[in-house]
Amino acid sequence: MNPLKRFLQSTSGKIGLILTISILLISLLAPILHPYDPATDRNYLLRLKPPNSEHWFGTDGLGRDILVLVWYGMRTSLTVGLISVGLGLMVGLILGLIAGYFRGYLETVIGWLTDILLAFPSILLAIAIVTVSGPNLQSVMIAVGVVQIPIYIRLTRSMVLSLREQEFVIATKALGADPTRIIFNHILPSTLSPLVVQATLSIGTATLEAAGLGFLGLGAQPPTPELGTMLSDAFKSGYSLSSPWTTIFPGLFITLSVLAFNLLGDGLRDSLDPRS
Amino acid sequence: MNHKRWRFPLLAAVCAFAIILSNCGNPTNNNQSENPTTPAATQQGVLVYGSGGQPVNLEPGNITDGNSIIVQQQIYNRLIEFKPGTTEFQPSLATSWSVSADGKVWTFKLRPGVKFHDGSDFNAEAVKFNVERWWNPQHPNGYRNAGKSYEIWQQLFGGFKGKSESLLQDVVVVDNSTIQFKLKQPFAAFPAAIGSGYFGIASPAAIKKAAASYGTPGSLAVGTGPFIFKEWRTGDRILLEKNPNYWKKGDPKINQLVIRFITDPAARLAQLRAGQIDFTVDLAPDQRKEVESDANLVAIPRPSFNVGYLALNPSYKPLGDAKVRQAIALAINNDQIVQAFWGNLGKHDSHFTPPSLNWAQSSKITEYKYNPQKAKQLLAQAGYPTGFDLELWYMPVSRPYFPTPKPIAEAFAADLSAIGIRVKLNTKDWAAYLSDRRKPPGFQAFMLGWTPDYGDPDSFYYPHFSPGATDDIGNWKNDKVTQLLDRGRATGDKAARGKIYAEVDEILHNEAVRLPIVHSQPLLAKRKNIEGWIPSPLGSESFEQIEKK
Amino acid sequence: MCKYIAKRLLSLLPVLLGITLLVFLLLHLIPGDPAVVLSGERATPEQVEALRQQLGLDRPLPLQYLAFLEKLIRFDFGTSIISGIPIADEIKNRWPATFELSVAAMLIAIALGIPSGIFAAVRKNSWLDNLLMSGSLIGVSLPVYWLGLLLIYLFAVNLQLLPPSGRISVETGFNFKPMTNFYVLDALFRFDIATLKDVLSHLILPALTLGTIPLAIIARITRSAMLEVLLQDYIRTARAKGVPGYLIIFQHALKNALLPISTTIGLQFGNLLGGAILTETIFSWPGIGSWIYEGILARDYPVVQGGVVFVSVNFVLINLLVDISYALFDPRIQYK
Repeated sequence: MNPLKRFLQSTSGKIGLILTISILLISLLAPILHPYDPATDRNYLLRLKPPNSEHWFGTDGLGRDILVLVWYGMRTSLTVGLISVGLGLMVGLILGLIAGYFRGYLETVIGWLTDILLAFPSILLAIAIVTVSGPNLQSVMIAVGVVQIPIYIRLTRSMVLSLREQEFVIATKALGADPTRIIFNHILPSTLSPLVVQATLSIGTATLEAAGLGFLGLGAQPPTPELGTMLSDAFKSGYSLSSPWTTIFPGLFITLSVLAFNLLGDGLRDSLDPRS
Repeated sequence: MNHKRWRFPLLAAVCAFAIILSNCGNPTNNNQSENPTTPAATQQGVLVYGSGGQPVNLEPGNITDGNSIIVQQQIYNRLIEFKPGTTEFQPSLATSWSVSADGKVWTFKLRPGVKFHDGSDFNAEAVKFNVERWWNPQHPNGYRNAGKSYEIWQQLFGGFKGKSESLLQDVVVVDNSTIQFKLKQPFAAFPAAIGSGYFGIASPAAIKKAAASYGTPGSLAVGTGPFIFKEWRTGDRILLEKNPNYWKKGDPKINQLVIRFITDPAARLAQLRAGQIDFTVDLAPDQRKEVESDANLVAIPRPSFNVGYLALNPSYKPLGDAKVRQAIALAINNDQIVQAFWGNLGKHDSHFTPPSLNWAQSSKITEYKYNPQKAKQLLAQAGYPTGFDLELWYMPVSRPYFPTPKPIAEAFAADLSAIGIRVKLNTKDWAAYLSDRRKPPGFQAFMLGWTPDYGDPDSFYYPHFSPGATDDIGNWKNDKVTQLLDRGRATGDKAARGKIYAEVDEILHNEAVRLPIVHSQPLLAKRKNIEGWIPSPLGSESFEQIEKK
Repeated sequence: MCKYIAKRLLSLLPVLLGITLLVFLLLHLIPGDPAVVLSGERATPEQVEALRQQLGLDRPLPLQYLAFLEKLIRFDFGTSIISGIPIADEIKNRWPATFELSVAAMLIAIALGIPSGIFAAVRKNSWLDNLLMSGSLIGVSLPVYWLGLLLIYLFAVNLQLLPPSGRISVETGFNFKPMTNFYVLDALFRFDIATLKDVLSHLILPALTLGTIPLAIIARITRSAMLEVLLQDYIRTARAKGVPGYLIIFQHALKNALLPISTTIGLQFGNLLGGAILTETIFSWPGIGSWIYEGILARDYPVVQGGVVFVSVNFVLINLLVDISYALFDPRIQYK
């Protein structure tokens, strides 16, 4: 059975794909569908109004429409998720390839770094990184990205280790091809599908972690809307319980975005990597 | 496959590890053996206070954070205290005090027959011991092993023993119940300063015994106050017990006082509503509605005695012009902002000092009333018809004067953008925020505030406008203000001082380097059956009169 | 076997060294000083400089690092800059709180996760399977702090069934002298039913919050492990021989699926011990995660150094135990 057919048979995959595409589309098209300048939008006479016909999700502590904030906040959260996973994937892939292909002391050093990063409580590492480089979105991307690196190092390295002993690679090597060519032409393509699966699942985790940092007040700076920061604002300002709509909707949409990528990742795994 | 083989060693290893760990360290619970054991608590006799966090330390003079001070208030007395709910003095461990004609020698008569919780006597020697520790960095029973000094002493009294800046010349035991402070210069606010919440008198015997660990969780904290320190479970709670021999007859009204540490205001209010705590402080203004909607709770505003301000740094070129700073003052819709974020828990006026110090304020000031048109004109006159870029910093944490700094900053930004000033909002981790604002060139504009140590205009102005206190606003300096502030310190007569500070008030209003935004009333709440709690404007008070009905 | 364990233990040393180095460097890169946090608005530059000297923070970094290591080797974690409390005492008080919470969370996760996984596997592709697996997917997608807030809102504020935060209520706490600081154990040792009830009621909400993700993961792993085993030849043989269904599932299939399940449990448990910061913050739980977090905010170097090293050692040791048990349990894996 080819992967596409398998994917289309998986319910979770299909739901995930539809959800992911709609979330991405809505986020991408936000500036066209509903142009919005978060810097000027506020009317503090309309603070903390419960959901009504004009503001479907109610308003927040500054009198801003929560629906719009959640919409734009999702955009921010997804950007952070995608970029940080991209970062973790790139660095992890390169280090993993090096470790797996060249072995020797490089592998020992990279393995050592991986072990350290894995033993360090990931949320603490992320908090420390953000504290060092200042609370803003770039730091969050870096912090969440760094936390992802060891996963990809391990994954890539184990893939390469099994591949490099396979006949086609040994044969190419014997023919005198240089290592970069072997890596890029022969090894890399074969590692892609597990990496894609892992990356899709990681986007979910990364989005969660980024929102967690936002919840601790270590995230986006105003006026940039971000879902975790919205929760943190509501919690810190003390209206999270008396105006529950300020927390319910952001939380719901964090869950939804993460769920979309998890479903998609599940479906991809079933179709690309049927053994696991 | 035999999986039982591994199961046991795994379990055993985990357990062994757990037991080893739970026994590591060396707890010194010597305080428990010393205090008289009291009968089991009855629910009526237990009062539970929801604190915004764990105290740093229970050693007087060693801390400046509100969570520590409020606990110390229960354990220690100072020489002088404040009448409940005011900033006026009343006798405490000192029964009377007087100053010499030249204003340099302060003599305090001490209350006879008072004993510390450990049974040792309170007398002039004990006072001298405490003061010497704070003042003299070389004191053998000085602060802990880290070799640190008592910073707050330096801030209120100029410097330490042996330094030229030290205001104190000597502290002398005249007799068993009389102590004298000899100053180098007159200092009118001396009783207020020595009576501020930091300087509780601790038992010398206990300090000598506990040495470096004094005031930490496993150790001692022994004063003369209404409650006896019993136990401190770190991260969780402190248990205090009634002092049966308290010198104020009839107080305290309850047998046991529990202080629970609950950092988040939402969590604190939830605990209060669930009846797990009896009273709490520092709620957010937005929680008032929730408090009032619960029939079992009562909302209490703490009397206002602080200032939340927006600092404008003249070393940033556009802000170097007083017209621009005034334009900003005119552009911010203070009344609406205060109404939105504080409701009736905050008041905006044009003075850096709060309304209760109106005797030291000028009546000739014309307020900066919200007027974007006029603000634009001023900007144009100053040469910025199209505005300029401004980085405005807001603090990452909630403070009593700015409970929700971030949305307030966003409101400023919106108002300023209306007159063409393009605001970029910034924040930093609190520690970095506090120190980086003083690194040249500093922040262009930032939010900060102040709750003073004692009820005197000097405690508002000196830390903000005296030379050396303005490095966060580009070393702004005004010779007239410097002169007036020094005169205010040396003058004893209240009416004369009122005039001096009114003049300061006027100059600062025109200079507009620290724009007063709000004098807030931090929101407190209690359960209905709690009576006798009179919140102090200075931020913490004794719970000796509180009853649980 | 002993050789294998010794080798693994030895290989931990460089990792631990690396962790100490990483903590140390991160902390000293963070701008701001403990002195500033202590004095708040009152901090002046001179004071900060004076305090830096007194605390030895002005010495060259390598020297500071060596001093830190040298003390660590003697199990001297130092004392907190801010409170003066010895780090070892603080760990002794707080670690049981974190451990108890993690164990409770894991128990919930195991008690609900394994049966869900088994049901889902046995009734593969039924509505029950779909329901359970969607539930578990949602479980791993939930922000825990949000779940915690919802639980507090529902059970503590609205229904007033359970306490919103803390470990023990005040009335009970007054006469309760913890011995081990594992409150549940303390109450059990004394057969103190009232205290036990009180302590457990405080434990439910945070444990549920913390346990959600491991619960979802365990359910998924159990399902896939069971499915794999159920397809094996010997199960088919057993079935053909007419062994009753429940016996096949519990005696044959589950026993063999336990290997991946127990590995997952071990790894998840390790994660919980270090990752409970958000849960501890929301529920005012006096554990180690919230302590380290406050330490970072206050620049309390010894607290963060001691705390992180301790948590990491825990994590590494638990992983080691998992590995060793893995090796013991599965003879196919060679441990030379």
